[in-house]
Amino acid sequence: MTRQDFILKWLFYALSLLPVWWLDVFVLNRFTVLGVSPRLLPVAAITVAVLEGTVGGAGFGLAVGVLCDAVYYGAWGGMTLGLCLLGWGAGAASQYVLRRNFGGCLLCCAAGLSLLELCHLAFGLFTGLADLYSLLRVAVPELLWSLCFVCLLYPWFYWVRRRIIKTLRL
Amino acid sequence: MKDFFRNNGWLILVIAVLLCAITAVASYALQGVPNPLGNVLGVVTTPVRNGISSLAGWAEGVYNYSFRYDELQAENERLKAEIAELEEDAREGEADSKENERLRELLGLRQKRRELEFESATVTARSSTNWSSTLTLNKGSSQGVAAGNCVVDAAGNLVGIIDEVGTNWSAMLTVVDANLEMGAFLSRTESIAILEGDFALMAEGKLKLTYLPENTELITGDLVLTSSMGGNYPSDLVVGSIESIHTDASGVSRYAVIQPSADLDSLLQVFIIKSFDIVE
Repeated sequence: MTRQDFILKWLFYALSLLPVWWLDVFVLNRFTVLGVSPRLLPVAAITVAVLEGTVGGAGFGLAVGVLCDAVYYGAWGGMTLGLCLLGWGAGAASQYVLRRNFGGCLLCCAAGLSLLELCHLAFGLFTGLADLYSLLRVAVPELLWSLCFVCLLYPWFYWVRRRIIKTLRL
Repeated sequence: MKDFFRNNGWLILVIAVLLCAITAVASYALQGVPNPLGNVLGVVTTPVRNGISSLAGWAEGVYNYSFRYDELQAENERLKAEIAELEEDAREGEADSKENERLRELLGLRQKRRELEFESATVTARSSTNWSSTLTLNKGSSQGVAAGNCVVDAAGNLVGIIDEVGTNWSAMLTVVDANLEMGAFLSRTESIAILEGDFALMAEGKLKLTYLPENTELITGDLVLTSSMGGNYPSDLVVGSIESIHTDASGVSRYAVIQPSADLDSLLQVFIIKSFDIVE
């Protein structure tokens, strides 16, 4: 793959992330289910990692993490490192352990989002934000509602990847 | 193992650690100010957010006109009657305040004064996480908005406090956010207490009133206002009313659940109190 192909490929992925970000920040937070809105950006990072492997996954996770830290209120940089690690882990899992299909992506997303929710729970308990029951009442619906969007995001990024391969004749 | 990391993007992980550390230090050092990348993104996306907000307002208007026409017409009639009553009250109030002014002059008391400087703003985005309750507004430091400014709705009900200020945007914590804490004044009993956001109540759009005065009988519906304690916030802004009173798990102290007066879910236009001068 030439340098130009490489840039073009990630430009495609960046453009395909725009509607996901738009949905996440402007649309879905107006229509909550069980009082929560889904977290699409982590799902997007993990989905691309499953399709692209460790290096691509870590790089895309890093970029999405920076975006999360820039657009989410009260972010302190944790998403930059967190999504990079999740992208790297999901990429490694799909490269060496799981299959690169919808099932593998769903498993990686479930594991990745669970880790993120566990971090939220630990932070909430440590800072005395609320008791475990109250935190779980947000974390569990958020995890499940976000997982539902794998059905939408996996075909979307899979289609984008197919277009990239076709366009760049890889 | 070494080769595994070398072939699998270890450099990206190192960059992520460095970026995380820089962002963490920057967010700690820049209290009330977004990090530079966040500010740039905010500035760039504010016109888009304004557009989406206008579109949502227009869609809501069309929906209301199509499906709630009769309901809105009835509400309009009721409001007209209410305005007539209020105009009469205002005329009586004007005469009372003139009399009050004369009496104050006679007794040599200082004039009561209440000057608030407002900046109107539009809500352009709502919380994008489930762990906080925030609104993004389309006014920022270039319009003189600062962290700690109070935000009210058209009826003067407190909506929240500005927490982060970008160039042409700002993020505010709503009154139900778990991180909010401020003094409160109970108008009927003329006592003070503390308003606190509570994570468990946040999802229900409510907040908590703690440190309730002992030997004071509070009742459902009591109005809760902001207090002038500390001088950080203007006094007498309506926060909400008492919905229920509880005893905490230890059985020692009581707290009340407050229903905010501002309708946080459908807010489009708000007013930021940039400065205030109140003499009681």
